Amino acid sequence: MNNILLLEDLPEIRAWLKSLVMQVFPGARITECSRVADALVQVQNLRFDLALCDLGLPDGSGTDVVAKLRDVQPDAQSVVVTIHDDDEHLFPALQAGAYGYILKEQSRELITEQLQRISQGEPPLSPSIARKVIKYFASMAKPQENAMPEVSLTERESEVLLRVAKGFTLPEIGVQLGLSRHTIADYVKQIYRKLNVSSRAEAALEAQRLGLFRR
Amino acid sequence: MPICRLCHRSLARFGAQGWLACLLGMWMLMWPAWAQAQQAYVQVLDKALVATESPSAPPQWAAADIVSLPDDWAAEGHASRSGVQWYRTALHLKPVVTVHGSPPTLFGLYIERACSVVQVWINGQLIHDGGRFTEPVTRHCHRPQLMSVPASLLRPEGNVLDVRVRGYGLNEVSSRQRVGGLSEIEFGPFDVMTAHHARRMAYAIHLPQVMSGVLLLMGSFMFVMGWFNRAQSYLAYFGALMVGWAALLARLWVSELPFSNQATEILLAALMAFNTLAAVQFLMRYVARRSRWLNRALPIQCVVMLLTLMLAGSNWLYPVSSLWFAVLTAEALTASGYHLWVSRQQRSPHFWPMASLLALVLLSMLLELVSQWLPLDNRVVHVAQLLPGLGFMALGLRLVQQFGRAYQTAEQNRAELEVRIREATAQIERNFAQLSELKVEQVTDRERKRIAADLHDDLGAKLLTIVHTSDNDRISTLAREALEEMRLSVRGLTGKPVKLVDALGDWRAEVISRLSQTGVQGEWKAPSDEDVPHTLSSRAFVQTTRILREAVSNIIKHSGASQCSVTCTIADGDFQLVIQDNGHGIPMELDGRLDKGHGMASMKGRAKQLQGQCLVESGPGYGTVIRLTLPLERHTTLS
Repeated sequence: MNNILLLEDLPEIRAWLKSLVMQVFPGARITECSRVADALVQVQNLRFDLALCDLGLPDGSGTDVVAKLRDVQPDAQSVVVTIHDDDEHLFPALQAGAYGYILKEQSRELITEQLQRISQGEPPLSPSIARKVIKYFASMAKPQENAMPEVSLTERESEVLLRVAKGFTLPEIGVQLGLSRHTIADYVKQIYRKLNVSSRAEAALEAQRLGLFRR
Repeated sequence: MPICRLCHRSLARFGAQGWLACLLGMWMLMWPAWAQAQQAYVQVLDKALVATESPSAPPQWAAADIVSLPDDWAAEGHASRSGVQWYRTALHLKPVVTVHGSPPTLFGLYIERACSVVQVWINGQLIHDGGRFTEPVTRHCHRPQLMSVPASLLRPEGNVLDVRVRGYGLNEVSSRQRVGGLSEIEFGPFDVMTAHHARRMAYAIHLPQVMSGVLLLMGSFMFVMGWFNRAQSYLAYFGALMVGWAALLARLWVSELPFSNQATEILLAALMAFNTLAAVQFLMRYVARRSRWLNRALPIQCVVMLLTLMLAGSNWLYPVSSLWFAVLTAEALTASGYHLWVSRQQRSPHFWPMASLLALVLLSMLLELVSQWLPLDNRVVHVAQLLPGLGFMALGLRLVQQFGRAYQTAEQNRAELEVRIREATAQIERNFAQLSELKVEQVTDRERKRIAADLHDDLGAKLLTIVHTSDNDRISTLAREALEEMRLSVRGLTGKPVKLVDALGDWRAEVISRLSQTGVQGEWKAPSDEDVPHTLSSRAFVQTTRILREAVSNIIKHSGASQCSVTCTIADGDFQLVIQDNGHGIPMELDGRLDKGHGMASMKGRAKQLQGQCLVESGPGYGTVIRLTLPLERHTTLS
């Protein structure tokens, strides 16, 4: 984690986050932005390993930056740092390609812990988000049975999601399924990826349909 | 028997019409039997002297001709006869014995036809006065007349019978039926003649009266019915035809009219034009053929006919009206033919009833026509006059029945339609209610989100800054709580209810994750998914989450516990959450109460808000047990 993008409009919070990031990733180069437009320029010019993005910004939503990063730097990990704890804000960000999310009002210790886990390749997944993902893929499955195989969940992935929804932590699920915590983490990453891919496929279909209509 | 079989067959085909025809037929068959039985007692006077009355002198019998009765003033030879004529004949008393065995003391003199009014003298004594001899002359052409003759008036031999008749010549009337004339005079015992007269009266006067009444009633009824149902205008025309026919029949029995003979004859003739109008329009409209041309031409024809008859005057009335009758008959026949043709083409179920009715009318008109030239039996003429009326009544009944059935069907359809409309209206109302509910929900939701976004951006950001920049732990905790409070106020009150199963999942994830991060061994016990069909209100969910969070924070921060178990149960309509640790408990304050700094008071307050309770059991070295109990009825609903 050498290059880190920090997108946050409130100076105090940005400073606080910066100190926190510096603590977790000592020696990393941190690029600070307070506007979506600035962040998009930075994403175009610099390579990032990690991006911490706020959602509600004066000139737009951090989701746009997450999506852009996903497009131009697929290896970069985007994490949403937000004050919003509702699924209506989080789910679109995850669909855009975010790798996890952190609630701003959490204590310094908790956020530190979460950042460490993310950097170790263990993305966070709350039960309510897991339920949303299950519902999303269930509704996707019906209308398009011949959809790309990579946008539908495998049995294992569904199993992991179901258990997360019931409140089991990822290590617990690993024990229950007889798998290592890394394998479970890989499943979760895969689920995030599919969420992004399927939302793109959906968007492409939608665009195609609109195009057909316009003709 | 063959009649009855015929009756059945025709009954099957024509219904009421067949019945009436049968009754009439049987009546006609029984008549001749009576006539023969009575002949023996009755003498018929069929020769008479005839003299013309002049205003100045009495009739000159010396120069009088002998005529044979019945004397028809229109017959060849005395076509000019009109005004007042005198007839004189001798009456010889026959020695007759009545059924009672004694000679009769009262005789009856019966005149079948004396057109138009008659006076009778016996031996110079007036015994009968039929009515007015000056205009308007009494009209008795169709009325059989009976006069009683006391035996005391009669001599055994040489009785003189004088009959004075006022009538009109052929050119002064529009129908041969009403040309002046005198029939044979019948003389016999009074009781015999009375019975004879009564029967003739029934046919000539009473039946036509009855039929006029019935036709008038039915006709008016159907006219009104057709008038108010313009789609069935043929009913109105048929009603008019029936009323017109009733008026036509009235000529047989109405004797006193306030008009002169000429006016009456013109009106009667013009009535035929009206009847033709009604008949033709009915025939056309009954097969749904309306013609604007006919609508104009037929009334014009009525007026033209009336005018030509008035112009014809008393000397040309008969030829002109005969011509008109021929034209009207041709029109009616053409309309009938056309009607039957169209009806046949349409394969209409009315074809046969209409065909038989038209045949009946045609037959009666033929008879009437023949009777103008050939002396037919009076009975045949009477029946011929009544037949069309009977036919009209039968068809009228049929039309009313059809109308009734159509009305019934329409009513039924209307009722069905009403039910459907009511259903549709209810459906629309339901949809509308749902739609407006949805709309309200949408608007509320949008507004809620807008407020939430505003609060997060403004208040939230400031609180957040306090949370992370304050050096004071208490202040940052307060700010964090304020932030949560803000979320609750924008989401908790109006948010959707949460499934208890989902809530348990969220709680478990948070509790176990936090405990494991701090090295406390966590244990979670909850009923299986199937046993938790409840939902939790948004507020109850948020408050319970806080209580649980606070409790876990306390364990992590203060208890020093190594183990913690959370047990959820649902029993007796209560939801119970028990959080137990093996730490060193909560220290007592000096007054023996538990330390408030550990957030116990706020936990209890929150439980109270939810109509539940939060009990804390603790003592130094014994660990802590927190029991949260919430009544489920108030905060959940069975899903």
